[in-house]
Amino acid sequence: MKKTVQIPLGSQHISLLEPIRFKFECENEKIIGVDADVGFVHRGVELACTRKFEFKQVGYVVARVCGLCAITHSLSYTLAVEKLLGYEANDRIKYLRMLMVELDRIHSHMLCLAHTAENAGFEALFMQIMAQREPVMDIQEAISGNRVQFDYISIGGVNRDLTPDLSALIHKNLAALSEKVDALMMLFDTNWSLSLKYKGIGVLSLENAYTYNALGPLARAAGLASDVRSESSDLPYEAVGYTMVLESSGDIHARNFVRLREIVNSIAMCRNIVDNLPVGEIQEKVKGKPKGEAVVRVEAPRGELFYLVRGSGQNILERVRIKTPTFSGIPAMMEVFKGSQYADAPAILASFDPCMSCTAK
Amino acid sequence: MKFFTPFRKKSPWILHYNAGSCNGCDIEILAALGPKFDLERFGAINTGNPKQSDIFLVTGPVTYRSRERLVELYTQIPEPKVVVAVGSCTDTGGVFRGMLNVEDGIDRYIPVDVYIPGCAASPQLIIDGLVKALEILETKSKAIEKPFKLFGAVQMIGTKLSRLNMAQRVRHDEN
Repeated sequence: MKKTVQIPLGSQHISLLEPIRFKFECENEKIIGVDADVGFVHRGVELACTRKFEFKQVGYVVARVCGLCAITHSLSYTLAVEKLLGYEANDRIKYLRMLMVELDRIHSHMLCLAHTAENAGFEALFMQIMAQREPVMDIQEAISGNRVQFDYISIGGVNRDLTPDLSALIHKNLAALSEKVDALMMLFDTNWSLSLKYKGIGVLSLENAYTYNALGPLARAAGLASDVRSESSDLPYEAVGYTMVLESSGDIHARNFVRLREIVNSIAMCRNIVDNLPVGEIQEKVKGKPKGEAVVRVEAPRGELFYLVRGSGQNILERVRIKTPTFSGIPAMMEVFKGSQYADAPAILASFDPCMSCTAK
Repeated sequence: MKFFTPFRKKSPWILHYNAGSCNGCDIEILAALGPKFDLERFGAINTGNPKQSDIFLVTGPVTYRSRERLVELYTQIPEPKVVVAVGSCTDTGGVFRGMLNVEDGIDRYIPVDVYIPGCAASPQLIIDGLVKALEILETKSKAIEKPFKLFGAVQMIGTKLSRLNMAQRVRHDEN
């Protein structure tokens, strides 16, 4: 007699924003095996970048790989092409790019926290965090003109400047957000019913984080110090007050806390950038066509984003390779599911903050 | 007898499916359901079950693997139903038009009632589209509940139901 039972989750499910299908091999309520199918949203972006679009347009196309971390995609592509063209952006451009990346990180982390709360059955907290996320969206709309897909970064600079009015708005909204994040940290730490769903559930140990090559908030919650912002020198993160956030327990609670503390860190960085913005042009002329091969790593909200761009002096590129954080993190994620209860699966899944449109491209 | 129409109009339940979108429109739908834009004041609630839904919100250009699931979900929603295409790429394919694995918009597979433009579609536009969809839902609901003659009834229902309408449209295109 067969002792295990297979339970599918997805491809369409109330707890999923995007189509992904899991097949859980369950023994009573306990998950003992997982099988994931991630390719539902494969669109062939990489191929189109080397066939259909010229290299000046590709930056806006790769932003459509993912709506949540669109700015990191266009930033990494732009940095790679600028390396090939032998152009180094001035400080003002670098700081403005960093500002948008950090704002994007804040809103992405808050969405993940809201989604985790909803999947743990706390609908009111979901609504509360979604309301507190809106000031950040307002800042992004005021700076770039769009709430989600802001095509802010172009080759040779950024498309809009920061005016004094905007700086005042950023300070006002971030101050309001900062108070609320403190209250949220208190809530996530002390709320008893949240601790039942979060503390000690979905644990990834430090050894497993090393073995399965975890990255992003998933690794930092397990105590593995991996962050591209501290390793790469493409953007001056040390100068604006970046500190690495580490937790040790590796459960859902730790992952939530890494996100909350990174929001606090990002708010401080945004304030520093707005206060100490260097003077300079925001758009400079870049001539030539990309020739050679360049590799760029940028820390997206979910972990390391890797871009390889190869050109041969033509308008059309030879190869654009995108390796996204969720794709690299899948082995570690599968490991966390094993041994946990089936009822906890949606909350564990949401705490990884998976991005399927990144993974399948 | 128009018994169910007011109920359908006052509590339209939403089914959301991502058919290959970039997540941009999906998070805007979440933001629209949140407290600031408050889509739920129209009685709309996000449900995961197609059999309890009235309004089908689709995002994304249909990818090769999601097209079967899209049609399957559409056929599981009971009549009357309204399909809302959210975002430029859902309407026409948008930036993904002509890419490998992309089917250029959902109206190749299911009939669409409301098209919402924008990349990503803003919450204001989503609310606007949903209000339009409510009007269409009301007319469809009234048409279904209208009493009809016994003879020739099959033909009459056929013109009212969107699924048969689609069948006629496809045949017309082939000719």
